[in-house]
Amino acid sequence: MATEGMAAPARLARARPAWLEGFLGQLIALLASLGIALLLGSLLIVAYGESPVAVYSAILKGSLGSADGIGYTLSIATPLIFSALAVAVCFKGGLFNIGVEGQYLVAMVTAAWAALTFDALPGPLLVFVVLLFAMLGGMVWAAIPGILKVKTGAHEVVTTIMLNGIAVSLLAWAINFPLKFTNAPPGQNVDLRTDLFSDKALIGDIGHYFGVTPGAHLSWLLFLAIAAAIVVWFLLRRTRLGYEARAVGSSPGSAKAGGVSIGATQLRLFLISGALAGLVGMQEILADKGYLGQNYVATLGFTGIAVAFLGQNNPIGIVFAAILWGVLSRGEVTLQIQTEVPREFIIILQGILILSVVITYQIAKRRLAARQLQRAGAAGELEDSAAPDESSGPRGPETAGSDAFEPADEGGR
Amino acid sequence: MPFTDIAVAIQISLTYFTIIYLTGIGGLFSERSGIVNIGLEGLMIIGTVTGAFGARFFTDTLGLGQPWGPILGLLFGALCGLLFAGIHAVATISFRVDHIVSGVVINLVAIGLARFLSQAFFGQATQSDPGGPHLAILNIPLLSSLPSGLGRAFQELSPIVIVAALMVFPVWYVLNRLRWGLRLRSCGENPEATRSLGVSVPLYRYQGVLLSGAFAGMSGAFLASEVIGNWREGQTLGLGFISLAALILSNWNPVRLMFFAWLFGFAVAIPLRLNDAPVISLLPDQFIRMIPYVVTIVAIAGFVGRVRPPAAAGKAYEGGGGT
Repeated sequence: MATEGMAAPARLARARPAWLEGFLGQLIALLASLGIALLLGSLLIVAYGESPVAVYSAILKGSLGSADGIGYTLSIATPLIFSALAVAVCFKGGLFNIGVEGQYLVAMVTAAWAALTFDALPGPLLVFVVLLFAMLGGMVWAAIPGILKVKTGAHEVVTTIMLNGIAVSLLAWAINFPLKFTNAPPGQNVDLRTDLFSDKALIGDIGHYFGVTPGAHLSWLLFLAIAAAIVVWFLLRRTRLGYEARAVGSSPGSAKAGGVSIGATQLRLFLISGALAGLVGMQEILADKGYLGQNYVATLGFTGIAVAFLGQNNPIGIVFAAILWGVLSRGEVTLQIQTEVPREFIIILQGILILSVVITYQIAKRRLAARQLQRAGAAGELEDSAAPDESSGPRGPETAGSDAFEPADEGGR
Repeated sequence: MPFTDIAVAIQISLTYFTIIYLTGIGGLFSERSGIVNIGLEGLMIIGTVTGAFGARFFTDTLGLGQPWGPILGLLFGALCGLLFAGIHAVATISFRVDHIVSGVVINLVAIGLARFLSQAFFGQATQSDPGGPHLAILNIPLLSSLPSGLGRAFQELSPIVIVAALMVFPVWYVLNRLRWGLRLRSCGENPEATRSLGVSVPLYRYQGVLLSGAFAGMSGAFLASEVIGNWREGQTLGLGFISLAALILSNWNPVRLMFFAWLFGFAVAIPLRLNDAPVISLLPDQFIRMIPYVVTIVAIAGFVGRVRPPAAAGKAYEGGGGT
């Protein structure tokens, strides 16, 4: 691990406490923001004349209270894990991939095309090829903002948003013309869609092993998503690319001085992000529907951003954040049936949660930085005047652009 | 008559110019003060739902009628946009959250909040009843009687279109001649120097961000009430981001912003009206609908190297909450 040595020596003595402190800080911030969200949510519930305990337990019972509920929750979480990972990979390099939305739409088109075109392939190979084409589709769509960013400096937030709009039309065109169904049963009104994929292209249900209803569409993709999280974790923490990504993300200037090609790193991150984004729509077309239709699930890409923030861009945190999101989304159903609170309450609760996570996390990060600076000051490494007072946080220039959500990272290995 | 088609397309482009220009002015105040605001889309979304409600509430429920009902509806949208922008202001200025992170969150939360408000206002989560009250439309004198059908471009416009076009004068004056505007700009260029003059940087930045909410909210209210006639989920169609692109291309200048707002407005009008014009009609409908987005990407990629954003925009300012 040649790269490890670069950050380690100066910090070796304090590495472990800083790591632990970072982890604890993160945990406290997360619990605090959960508490704030639940508290504000309770106020809203009381305003509706219901009991918070009843509402929250209805949500939990609906999502985690039965095997079926857990199945639904996990299958909601599956695409969100891919989506949030795609966001997080770019985020580590200081890039905002708001285009996961468009990338997975394009990927659904390329995957559907592959599923229909390579129909003659034997089962497992066909699934593999379809997933491959999904990742390729996502990569192509993510490469566009990547190249534009590196070559022209066009900000990825604007370009990815515009590409989302284009992807919506592209998908509509694909199912209207080249991929439009040919085998509709005569005399029936069928919604616009592609032909049905053959069964061997679909991803197997795993729900029946656990007594979950097939209606939940819990599939092997869940394991693929968890595996992807582990791979991303490894990639970001243990490889050269991950090191370069974090260097570019936290301090482009020093990364460049250190010999890292910023453009090449950013482009690679976009491609990896696009490949992950490509898998977002597979739950929909390969595990659930078995075709690509005009009533596809939208906004998974945007929800992925929220889940990534909630998981604080940590791949493992993202898995849990996606499950938490699934709990809330699934709980919407029982909320609707069992209480007087409208289902839009969930969406507000999710919004409050994101806001409080972002803000508490920022506070925790600053507290942490202040404490470390103070300790460093006490150790005589810095002048006393640099030590911050508690109220105003640390002084000194800081580019806010890229290093949010990245506390105590130097000590994190 | 091809002229009539073009004239109608221009008429539509003037309407979308209004939306993009108003939102762009909002972004201008925020970014000139040093706070990057990619939450414009979300602020517009709040403006659409509250503006549609406000127009109905003031016109019908309170019985104020024309023109005060629709005008108060627009102002209500602006007020709600302003309040919602307060979240972005608190997050970025007081808590120093990354501006883009906060902006993304604003956009995410706005979608949910709009549904929630719609449920409360209209009893349905994704739209209100069509045919809401709006201001009486008018023809622009002289221009509306141009020959060969071209006059059509300046007929049946909302008075807000004229208000938006005239807005360039006060905005330019405020930013270039008034002490308040000069201080606001200096907060965006060099906050440390500004602070050393005894000016409270956070105070000006709060004002900049809140103003951006007011303008974007009014723009959203205009879209819902005056252009479409009701609130529908997703009706902003990325116009907030297109406004942001226009703002960047204008080099954060209110006069140039007029041109880019109109250019993008025209790009938006093409799929709405010119889809059977020569050349364009050869494309499938779905590709025509991509035109505004493609135009935006090409423009941003082609010109972004030549613009200079406010120097301190996007950077956290550590000067504390006081002066």
